[in-house]
Amino acid sequence: MARNGASPEAAHASVKRLIAEKLRFLVPMTIIFMVGYIGLTALAGFAKDLMGTKVVGSVNLGFTLIAFNYLLSWLLAIVYGRIAADRFDPLAAKAASETIDRG
Amino acid sequence: MNLTLGIFVVILLITLGITYWAAKRTSTTADFYAVDSQLTAAQNGFALAGDWCSAAAFLGFTGLTALYGMDGAFYALGPLVAFCTVLFLIAEPMRNTGKYTLGDIIRSRMQTRTSLLAAIAGTVVVNFAYLMPQMAGAGVLVRLLTGISYDWAVIFVGVSMIVYVAFGGMLATTWVQIVKAVLMLSAGAIILVMILSMIHFNPLTLFADAEQKYGVKYLLPGNYLKNPFDQISLGLGYTLGLAGLPHVMTRFYTVPDAKTARRSVVWVMFLAGAFFAGTTLFGLAAANLVGQDVLRAADKGGNLTLPLLAQYLGGGKGSLGGDLMLGFVAAVAVATILAVVSALTLSTSGAIAHDFYVNWVKGGRVEGRQEVWLARVTAVVIGVLAIALGILAQGVNVAVLVILAICVAASANFPVLILSLFWRRFNTGGVVGGMAVGLVSSVVLAMIGPAMRGADALWPLVNPTVVSLPLGFLGAVLGTLMWGRDAENEQRFDAFLLQVHTGVASK
Repeated sequence: MARNGASPEAAHASVKRLIAEKLRFLVPMTIIFMVGYIGLTALAGFAKDLMGTKVVGSVNLGFTLIAFNYLLSWLLAIVYGRIAADRFDPLAAKAASETIDRG
Repeated sequence: MNLTLGIFVVILLITLGITYWAAKRTSTTADFYAVDSQLTAAQNGFALAGDWCSAAAFLGFTGLTALYGMDGAFYALGPLVAFCTVLFLIAEPMRNTGKYTLGDIIRSRMQTRTSLLAAIAGTVVVNFAYLMPQMAGAGVLVRLLTGISYDWAVIFVGVSMIVYVAFGGMLATTWVQIVKAVLMLSAGAIILVMILSMIHFNPLTLFADAEQKYGVKYLLPGNYLKNPFDQISLGLGYTLGLAGLPHVMTRFYTVPDAKTARRSVVWVMFLAGAFFAGTTLFGLAAANLVGQDVLRAADKGGNLTLPLLAQYLGGGKGSLGGDLMLGFVAAVAVATILAVVSALTLSTSGAIAHDFYVNWVKGGRVEGRQEVWLARVTAVVIGVLAIALGILAQGVNVAVLVILAICVAASANFPVLILSLFWRRFNTGGVVGGMAVGLVSSVVLAMIGPAMRGADALWPLVNPTVVSLPLGFLGAVLGTLMWGRDAENEQRFDAFLLQVHTGVASK
């Protein structure tokens, strides 16, 4: 038999913990970029005047928010890379080892 | 124009050299479809950038910004944001679960022949809807740049693509994409530096000049997308449609593990994102320097904006610098089309040869060497078909097909993919329901909309994603419920999840 605790059930339980951990981070992050981007398209559709508010020189709020969305996407990509390496990968490795140890 | 031809011939010789090199290294099925999963994150990141920036992005975004202002910038932003969805939800599960195609994932989740058939339909429709306008665009572009006729231009592009894919498989396709990405990013960097040096490195000048020349309205949204719901459809189509485009998603099979897949997404987000941001500045600069009238006169849709801007920056028409810059950008545009159509051909050949013939007809019982041979032959057949469709498409309004491709990807492929990965009760009925409803609603709404029928449109939106995507999800959920509980499928879900999140297939 396997070493301590290694079994399909243990592996499946570890995967459940991994998924819970993923949801804890990915749900807010997904909401952030969806609200950021779809919200921007909605504003472009329904609040044209607001989007035309000048921010710096001739650059209006619309272009500022577009620039902000670029920075946000890049930031989220880096943050995701960090979180995945620090939190998801160890849990995934644990679940994988519990399967491989079996038998 | 002879300089363009010269530069292009050089690029062509390089890609053929790559294909010769790749053909010698492509012998197994895994080599052919997925480079035996041997690519690094940076290689796949560059290839993804080459794959994802189609001519519509390279030429279209710049033109849209030049002619319509902010709406062009929206078009350019979407494809970057789209990779957030892919990074968070799709890339790593894809790598962990599938082998060569989108159909592999559905098959390993449902293990039914019917669901595989639905997945094949999704891939083939999206790929052909994407392929046909690319071929037509290639015909127009190559004719414009080199002076050969439309038909010969399409044949030339089609034959090159067949050679890359049939002989060099994914390895050749990948390196054609990498070469194209490097050329495209270099062209972008050169143009950006030239623009910035003209405006004393103050980008705000671009906006001030544009406002002065074309008025405040030019910098407002809604000049191109008049209907507010079209703006939202565009956003949804991009953010969720990319994850349903088989020819981009299969790139994740070319890396060894989920960590590398993840890093390759971060690469493409910085590479392609920087280029997309650049197109907005290029568009404004072109409107300021070249002028909208000149851009419109060259091409009504503004698709020659970037080549004309490059020509202006190089010293203008007739100067050596101007010709050189124009030739370089034009050649990159053709290389772009070659990279994208090759990926589409390869991915379609995966759906037909691997999903349909090997797994659906033969139940997986096909010898390795025979499968590679089949894949190559299928690629040739698809290539010939693409050439024929491209020639038939001359003069036809193919814009509706571009919208359709991304709309079907978002409304049919995406719901089925995401529910397969995350919903325990999701079953074969759901796969069929989601695919059928997503596909039919996208096709019908796009066909009766303004893109196809102009003023006679029976429905107001050019891009129906805002309606068809919820319908696709609804079809998937109703299909699941009507199919009834599938206890065996639900039990298997634990083992499937283990594979999705760790890459380990349990016995």
